[in-house]
Amino acid sequence: MHGNPHGVRNPHGVRADASVRVGRALRLALLIALAALFLIPFYLLVRNGLASEQEITSPDWSFLPAELRWSNVTELFSDPSVPFSRSLLNSALIAVATTLGTLLLASLAGYGLARIPYRHANKVFYAILGTLMVPAAVTFVPSFVLVSTLGWVSTLRGLIVPTLFSAFACFVFRQYFLGFPRELEDAARVDGLGYWRTYWRIVVPNTRPVFAAVGTIVFIGAWNSFLWPLVIGQDQGAWTVQVALSSYTNAQVVRLHELFVAAAVSIVPLLVAFLVFQRWIVAGVERTGISE
Amino acid sequence: MTISRRRLLTGSTATAAAGLLSACGSNTGRGGSGSSGGPALSHWYHQYGEPGTEQAVRRYAKAYDKADVTVQWRPGDYDRQTAAALLTESGPDVFEANGPNLDQIRGKQVLDLTELIEDVKDDYNPAVLTPKTHEGRVYGIPQVIDMQLLYYRKSLLADAKVDPPRTLDELVDAAAKLTTRDVKGLFLGNDAGVGALGGTPLQAAGLELVTDDGEVGFDDPIAARTLGKIHQLYADKSLLLGAPSDWSDPAAFLQGLTAMQWSGLWALPAVQKELGDDFGVLPFPKDGAGSPSVPVGAYGAAVSARARDKDAAKAYVKWLWVQQTAYQEDFALSYGFHIPARISLAKKAEKLKKGAAADAVRFATESGFPAQPLLWTPRNQTVYQDGLSRIIKDGADPDKELKSVVRKVRAELERVAK
Amino acid sequence: MTARTEATARTAATARSKVAAHTRELPARRHRALWFWVFVGPFALGLGVFTYIPLLWSVYLSFFDAHNTVTPDPARDFVGFGNYADMLADGAFTDSLLTFVVFSLFIVPTTFGLSLALALMVNRLRRAQAFFRSVFFLPAACSYVVAALIWKMSIFNGVRFGLANTLLGYVDADSVAWLSTTDPPWYWLAIVTVRLWLQAGFFMILFLAGLQRINPQLYEAAAVDGAKPGWQVFRHITFPQLRATSVAVALLLVINAFQAFDEFYNLLADSRGYPPYARPPLVYLYYTALGQGQNLGMGSAGAVILAVIIAVVTIGQARWFGLGRREA
Repeated sequence: MHGNPHGVRNPHGVRADASVRVGRALRLALLIALAALFLIPFYLLVRNGLASEQEITSPDWSFLPAELRWSNVTELFSDPSVPFSRSLLNSALIAVATTLGTLLLASLAGYGLARIPYRHANKVFYAILGTLMVPAAVTFVPSFVLVSTLGWVSTLRGLIVPTLFSAFACFVFRQYFLGFPRELEDAARVDGLGYWRTYWRIVVPNTRPVFAAVGTIVFIGAWNSFLWPLVIGQDQGAWTVQVALSSYTNAQVVRLHELFVAAAVSIVPLLVAFLVFQRWIVAGVERTGISE
Repeated sequence: MTISRRRLLTGSTATAAAGLLSACGSNTGRGGSGSSGGPALSHWYHQYGEPGTEQAVRRYAKAYDKADVTVQWRPGDYDRQTAAALLTESGPDVFEANGPNLDQIRGKQVLDLTELIEDVKDDYNPAVLTPKTHEGRVYGIPQVIDMQLLYYRKSLLADAKVDPPRTLDELVDAAAKLTTRDVKGLFLGNDAGVGALGGTPLQAAGLELVTDDGEVGFDDPIAARTLGKIHQLYADKSLLLGAPSDWSDPAAFLQGLTAMQWSGLWALPAVQKELGDDFGVLPFPKDGAGSPSVPVGAYGAAVSARARDKDAAKAYVKWLWVQQTAYQEDFALSYGFHIPARISLAKKAEKLKKGAAADAVRFATESGFPAQPLLWTPRNQTVYQDGLSRIIKDGADPDKELKSVVRKVRAELERVAK
Repeated sequence: MTARTEATARTAATARSKVAAHTRELPARRHRALWFWVFVGPFALGLGVFTYIPLLWSVYLSFFDAHNTVTPDPARDFVGFGNYADMLADGAFTDSLLTFVVFSLFIVPTTFGLSLALALMVNRLRRAQAFFRSVFFLPAACSYVVAALIWKMSIFNGVRFGLANTLLGYVDADSVAWLSTTDPPWYWLAIVTVRLWLQAGFFMILFLAGLQRINPQLYEAAAVDGAKPGWQVFRHITFPQLRATSVAVALLLVINAFQAFDEFYNLLADSRGYPPYARPPLVYLYYTALGQGQNLGMGSAGAVILAVIIAVVTIGQARWFGLGRREA
């Protein structure tokens, strides 16, 4: 934290000082109000998730249900018609595998594009970047047909492999490696290390924050993705948590408390990961090409 | 599985990725227990809301001993999932469909099932068999008849001194009178009835979506007048909008958010349980020279043209949806109410002989019309619903709006007539 | 190419050592190309298979009458640019493009402003900075499915037990059907707030990172020059220093807006379809191509049109910001 620019002492003395203090108080009040607004949806998840159906639909708003019904949570896991714990496990597997795979593939590609001189490197880079502009939903049907031709429907392979090639992640890595000081690599060169060993021994260990930042973004995306798992994970055993969640909102009967408790449980792993990794993410973003 | 999981969680990036590419492809899909022997078949159902339905269809599948049937219970946008899956080898062998629709039939994505029901064809209610028939061939075996109807709360109507509405004008009046600050008069769905009603108001005015010979059935000033009355309901603020669950769920009616609700016969047991005798049912009231009407439709069992063992799939469908009348009866009546698609079963059904259920069956017999004619393609439905939404919600001029709808529907009907 | 001809010319001229250098150079270049593909190859291959093949397939389909098939008959079903003409003449599609333009013109500046404001305020906190940063950042962890559920079922449902209507009830106002009313179009309130909630925190982090890179001496110099803290300092120092970050954020926001699908679909679609309002192009194409009446030819044509528009806008924006220059 070097910031705090406006706290710099003003030579004109007391009056300005007072206005600065008022300004600061106003700012704090505004921040607190905004923070409260941002927390409302989380509050609603908990309130509705731990209430009974009658309490949710009651015309008299209660801040919290009379009795916090933790049994809603256990019911969720014991409901035989929706394999909720299996779906959590699937989501975790898919998100972890997707994150690791994407980091490996995209960072290698990003490094190659940034550091290995090659005549067509720019063309390759623009070919990769160009795919960012193509909305995934529009190539959806051919992708689905392709994956099912490979026989990957309802397999983890089908859920994971096609999502591993993120042009966005590759772009971020390339930008980042472009800004990475060359001296370290040159030193490695002098020691006789080739591209491969330089990459693993020098570059990767020194660029952990960018891996953390990209990894988190990819992880969130994988955990939250919906349309692809819905169509590829046809068998109940291959449902992800988002698919399970959507099964509570089917057209005919909506059980609100079940829906909300499932939603609340589905975001817990991400919130925990977020709080733990937040500092890394900030540090990573700070040094990545994202905002360079 | 275990290996890949351990590798994923503990290995370094490189080995984990290698393990991932090679090891985690273990097929979690079809296959199954293999207890009953015979070829493997996968059978898709959309997710029913009534408790017990899923267990029931799994039980039926298990009882079949000539194939190993795996039931897949599909949440979410079912029609879109089947449409995509039918393009590939990995889709279902047997699936229930709110169709199959005309392009699926013309595109030869589903098999001709005429021979399966040849012997008992006349026992199927024509209102639901006809929309599954194209050029004399049957492509889906109706499972049950789903019908929609109007529920009303007797006590609320009595309090407001309103009689059950017999005409569309009375419905507009009644809804306005029943509307209070906390309770709305009528719930037609969160989209103000666009999706649920479809062609129902046209039918009640003596018109129809599409005629039997493939012409637009509502190119008539009467259509504009009738649909304008639905807009009146909206403009009067008599309609409940934005309830958490939509028209197909009786929740809004049961929670006292509305005095009348358009819903399905399937909701009857839940309504009965909650309200006892304090409710009645009505068909959609007539308008002008028309007559009351209730839309009926059916999920049908269809066989994918890409089924690996077509004969086994057909044999299974014949067994379940033609021969096993006991299962058909159980499916129709034990988990929410549906009218059996077989006339002989419908006549026997004790549960449909008394009270509101008996009224409903009478409506279906006297005023039922196919909600989704085969020629009413998804394109037509989108165009019509867009227009209907603009008429009801935006107060667009019904005449002008319908003209453009008619023009587009005509073009689509010409396409499919080719 | 030129390098080689030059080298050849020079070799011809004289100098044995240069001949040696030349013959060393070629294997080195080949060696580098090899390593380039070792690093980039697996990614490029995957992208080729799982993005380019479906993409080219879509382009191919856009020239055919492809109802319910991805393998139309090349002779019978070919329609040339017919699908493109139909799509551009389709009022619903052009309306959806307009919807999208209106939506992005609003959401891009709003998200940009909100996340910048949050970053400025959080950055100046002396205490509890981590707390506020976390609070604003947490929603980024939620999926559109979850967020839409909270918005649709709890905050902006149209009945008396929705949060928004409960608040209206306190001031004795009538309930509003937020997502179903077209006049006034309240549904935009839900659509816009859900996106703001989900995205503002992420872009705030980007701005925070940018702010922390600004050299504090610049502020000290400004103070000495008598610049008033607040607007003047922001205008002349902070904002110009944030230029790189701002450009990146603006680009990402526009790309995101173009791809808008999830919140629209989850908030407004029901089992029978999607209303004719607030229907962005992706949602319309989704129903055209993936709907039951799979018109894959038309859907693909619309997709190609959309992708071209996105490309033109993005490249134009990048050029305008002078991004391409640094790349080249």
